[in-house]
Amino acid sequence: MIKKFIHQFASPKTYLFQVNKFYNYIFYISISIYVLSITWGLLFVPEDFVQGNSFRIIYLHVPASFLSQSLYAAMAIASVTYLIWRVKLAAYLIIAIAPIGAMVTFIALSSGSIWGIPTWGTWWQWDARITSTLILFIMYLGLISLHGSFSNYEKADKLLSWLVIVGFVNIPIIKKSVDWWSTLHQSASITLTNKPSIDPSMLYPLIGSTIGFFGLIICLVIISSKVQIIKRESTKSWIKDYV
Amino acid sequence: MFDFAFKSIEEAIYMNGHGIYVWIVVTIVIVCLISAFGHYKIKLRELKKKFNESD
Amino acid sequence: MKLLKLEFLKLKKKSRSWLGPILVFWLIMIAYPLTVELLPEKLEVGFFSVLWIATLISMMLAAEDIFLEDFNDGSLEQTMIKTTSFASLISIKVFIYWLLIGIPISLLSFIFSFGTTTNFVLSLMIFPLSIISSYIFLNLFVLGNALSLNKGSVLGALVTIPLALPVLIVLGKSIVAIQFNINYSGFIFLLLGCLSIIIVAVPLVVSYIIKAHLE
Repeated sequence: MIKKFIHQFASPKTYLFQVNKFYNYIFYISISIYVLSITWGLLFVPEDFVQGNSFRIIYLHVPASFLSQSLYAAMAIASVTYLIWRVKLAAYLIIAIAPIGAMVTFIALSSGSIWGIPTWGTWWQWDARITSTLILFIMYLGLISLHGSFSNYEKADKLLSWLVIVGFVNIPIIKKSVDWWSTLHQSASITLTNKPSIDPSMLYPLIGSTIGFFGLIICLVIISSKVQIIKRESTKSWIKDYV
Repeated sequence: MFDFAFKSIEEAIYMNGHGIYVWIVVTIVIVCLISAFGHYKIKLRELKKKFNESD
Repeated sequence: MKLLKLEFLKLKKKSRSWLGPILVFWLIMIAYPLTVELLPEKLEVGFFSVLWIATLISMMLAAEDIFLEDFNDGSLEQTMIKTTSFASLISIKVFIYWLLIGIPISLLSFIFSFGTTTNFVLSLMIFPLSIISSYIFLNLFVLGNALSLNKGSVLGALVTIPLALPVLIVLGKSIVAIQFNINYSGFIFLLLGCLSIIIVAVPLVVSYIIKAHLE
């Protein structure tokens, strides 16, 4: 039942045609939300009492670091789907997401270390969260290079999804162990269970920029998965209609 | 909440000395996003072109 | 038992495969004092980090060709079809590699730490840590090499080193624990716990990965 459902709705063909309908809406809505909330955050929110104006980097840093992990989780879900139900679309999504995840992690790392200069007085600290983000970045690069080294796409997909799953199991272990090793980073300001510890006037643009960034990254994933699908399904007849 | 946080545009760019960090990060994010979108758009166009030529 | 003996003989014949990693470990441990000022306290500062990194690297080399030869001559495919439990065969293979490479390296690390610190009890405590961690590292690199198989071991190492980092952190912490005389057995149990999970999980995953290669 589930299998039938997934196979029907997750065929690359339906995906491609369905996604095309929504792409423009998602893109324009999220880019306007992102630009608006970034301008709001950068120019209209009052200065932070402790960190001064450098706290404004939060509006660029937090969405990226949030997504850097979520994208890995998305890859892990896609890997499980691929290995259990052999859904081809999931395999395309894994390799479509990997470079984007690496880019987002790069943004999180670089913005974080630039933010560190005015607030901590140093651009790099061997602190728990920075280090685990760096490890995550290396893991993304490893995934990309693993997939790139096999010319047989199907084999590469299978190996990649195994590695993604193993890495996903390892992420909390890395986080815990690195936490244990050293910590300096401020603990997460927003959690789902506790009340947020920052002022609402600073919070709303943060939520906005996170949503906007999320939307933009979804758009990126859509385009890159389109590239994958056209590349890999080029022998199918329906591709002609699409192109 | 919606008041301009700075006295002038120059001050908004300078941000009490923190402007350079903030604007560098803004540039990094914008460059990354634009280049990623550009990269995939170009790739998509190339693929479509190749596909149409092979027909 | 028969399989165990067979794998043992196979590895024993390939002296490069088991002697190489041990020699590399030896060389790193000799090279370390040559790069620092020859004062006992200065030697001790970085000694244990070098020891763990040397263990990591020699285990990486040890796992380098664990499947490659069998894959190339087709015997890996044959055993996969023949045996009912491919995963247990892999765990036997890993065990033999650890027996011939991991144990000598642990002995060497005991000797080297005794030579550097001249503290017998400390060196004795290093020995079990080294034994367990070398087995963990070997398993992880076997996983990486199963992924990259015929694409060279650098790729395999690249994808597995992030997995090995938590173990390195635990090893570093356990040295601190030994030096301050706190909760040493806790660390041993933590590592043993990791090992017992890895010992079961890695051969299973590796068997699926190799099946994917051969399909």
